[in-house]
Amino acid sequence: MAFGKTADSRRRQGLVLLLSPVTLLLGVFFLIPLGIMIVYSFLEPGLYGGVEWNWYPYNYGRIIGWPLNDYETFEPIYLSIFLGSVKIALLTVLVSLLICYPAAFWVSRMSEPRKSFVLFLITLPFFANLLVRIYAWLLLLRPSGFINMALESLGLIAQPLDMLFSSFAVIVGMVYIFTPFMFLPIYANVEKLDFSLVRASQDLGAPPVQTFLRVILPLTVPGIAGGSIIVFIPALGNFIVPAFLGGSKVQMTGNLIERSFLQSRDWPFGAALSLLIMGSVVIIVMFQVIRSTRQNRGAA
Amino acid sequence: MKRTITRLAGVASVLLMTTQLASAEGNLSLYNWGDYINPELIDAFSKEYSVDVTLDTYSTNEEMLARIQAGASGYDLVWPSVHMHDIMQKLDLLQPAHPNEMKGWENIDKGAMRSHEDPNGDYCLPYAWGAVGILYNKEQIPELTSWKEFFEYGKEHPGKITMLDDLRETLGVGLIMNGASVNSRDPAEVEKAEAYILEQKPNIAAFRYDVIPLVTSGDIAAGHYYVGGVLNVLQNPDLLGFVIPEEGATMYQEDVCLLKTAPNPDNAKLFMEFLMRPENAAKNSERLTNGVVNTAAVDLLPEELKSNPSINPSPEVRAKLQIFEDLGKDLRIYTRAWDRIKAN
Repeated sequence: MAFGKTADSRRRQGLVLLLSPVTLLLGVFFLIPLGIMIVYSFLEPGLYGGVEWNWYPYNYGRIIGWPLNDYETFEPIYLSIFLGSVKIALLTVLVSLLICYPAAFWVSRMSEPRKSFVLFLITLPFFANLLVRIYAWLLLLRPSGFINMALESLGLIAQPLDMLFSSFAVIVGMVYIFTPFMFLPIYANVEKLDFSLVRASQDLGAPPVQTFLRVILPLTVPGIAGGSIIVFIPALGNFIVPAFLGGSKVQMTGNLIERSFLQSRDWPFGAALSLLIMGSVVIIVMFQVIRSTRQNRGAA
Repeated sequence: MKRTITRLAGVASVLLMTTQLASAEGNLSLYNWGDYINPELIDAFSKEYSVDVTLDTYSTNEEMLARIQAGASGYDLVWPSVHMHDIMQKLDLLQPAHPNEMKGWENIDKGAMRSHEDPNGDYCLPYAWGAVGILYNKEQIPELTSWKEFFEYGKEHPGKITMLDDLRETLGVGLIMNGASVNSRDPAEVEKAEAYILEQKPNIAAFRYDVIPLVTSGDIAAGHYYVGGVLNVLQNPDLLGFVIPEEGATMYQEDVCLLKTAPNPDNAKLFMEFLMRPENAAKNSERLTNGVVNTAAVDLLPEELKSNPSINPSPEVRAKLQIFEDLGKDLRIYTRAWDRIKAN
C-alpha cells in the first residue's frame, strides 16, 4: 500500500516536472500578454502612447461605430474594415482550397520518392524570408513586371494590366503565402483515405459526382476544416500583404492595429481591435471543436 | 582527459573575449531612421575614438517612441523629428547634452532651432532638414511644378501616382490645397482636406513609402516623396526629377537627442561634437541629400547639391514650407479622417 502511494506520487512529481516548462512558457508568453491586452483595451489612451488608468469602454464602442466624443459622429468605418478583412480571408481560404484539394489527390497517388520531393518543394518557400517573397510578387505584378511582359509579348494584351495595388494582388499574395498550410492537412487526410470505399461506391453503381459528394468529400472534411482554419486565422490578421501588394489602399484590420500603435498612438484601440480578431478566431475554433467531438461521438 | 582540454579551451576563449571587450574604449548605441546617416561617419568615429558603435533603425517617430516608452534601454542617441523631440522632452525621456557648449556649435544655423521646448539647444543637436515634395519620372512627365499638375496627371492616368502612407503628410497636402495650415486643429478644415484626398483616391495607385524603384522603372509616374530622393535624381538626372510644389509643402527636421537612460553619455556627446565638424556634416549631407543645418558645411558641399533648389531652396520657397507641430489630443481629428480615407 505504502509502496503504491510513493509510485503514484512519484509519477505525479514526474508529470509536474514534465509539464512545468510548457505551462511556464504559455503562462509567461501567452497568458500574461493576453491579460495585458485585455486590461489595456478597457483603458483610456495616453496622449503620447501608453495608457491612462481610467475605465474606458469606448474603445469597443468605437469599433461598432459609436461616436467617441466631439471629434466623431456615428459611422461604422471600423466594422466595415473588419468585414472587408473577413471577406478577404474567406476568399483566401476558398482559392487555396480550390488549388490544394485536387493537388493533394494528385500528390497522394505519386510514387514514394516523387511524393517526398513534391512535399519538399511545397515547404521550400519557408526557407526564404516572407518579405523577400512578397517583394518578388510586387516585381511580378507591377505594370512593367514579368507577367505583363509575358502577356504583352504573346499578344494577349495591348496595355499592361493594372494588377498591383488591388484586392486581386492581396488575394494572390495571401493565397501564395498560405497555400502550404492548406495543402498539408488536406494531404494528410487524403493520404490515408481508404480508396476501397471509393471503388465500392463505383461498383455499386454510383455516378462519379455522387461518389465524390457522398464518399470522398465527407471523408476529407476533417482535412478541409483543419486547413481552412489554419489559413483563415493568420489571413484575418495579416497586415504585410495588404500593405505591400494592396498599396495600403486595401485595408485589413491588421493594418488598422499596426496604425493604432505606430501612427495614431492609441494603444487601447489597437488592443481592442486585436481582441476582436482573437475573439472571432476563438469562435471559429470552438465551432471546429464542437463539430469534431460530435463526429467522434458519432463514430463511437 | 580530452574532454577536460576542450572544456579548458572553451573557458579560455570566453576569457579572451571578455578581455577584448574590456580593451575597447567603450560602446555607443544609435537608434536612427533607416538610411539616415552616412555609414562612413560611423566607421570614422569608431576608428578615431576606438568605440564600438551599433546602429538600430526605425521608420516612424511613433515606433521609436513606443519602443523607448516600453522600456527599450541600451540606446544612447535617437533622431526624433522636432515635434517628437518636444514630446520626448515633455515626457522626461531626454537628458540635456548641452551641444550648445560644444566645439562647433557656432556653425549651427540658428534658424534650425525649431524646438519649442529646447530653444537654446540645451538638449538636442539639429541634424538635418528637408522638404517633402514629388519625385517623378521625366519620361512620363517632362516637367512638374505643382500639386495641381500632379493630381491632374493622376486624373488622366489613374494608378500612376502614389502618396505617402502617413496620415499627417498626406492630409497635409489636402490642407495645403485648401489653403489651411498643416497644423490646423479646425475639424472643418481637416474635413475639407479629407474630402480632397478622397476625391483623388481612385487615381492614387498606392499609399506607400518605398516608391523610388517604382518611379525609376516607370511603373509609377510620380510619387509624393522626401527630398532624400534627390540622391537618385543626381545619379540619374535624365530620368528622374524632384520638385517642391509651388503651392507649398511640408518639411521635416530631425534633432539628435541624448536619452535619459543612455548607458554611454560621454561617447554620445563625443559623437554629437563629431557630427558638428563641417567636413562630417557635409559628408553626411552628400549621402542624405538633405538640407544642411551647419553653415560652415554649405561651402564644402559639391556644387550640384549647393545649387539644387530642392536641397537648398530660395527664401521664397522656404517661406512656403510648413513643419509639423505636436497636436496633442487633436491628433484624433486626423486619425479619424485618415481611417475614413482608408476605409472608403
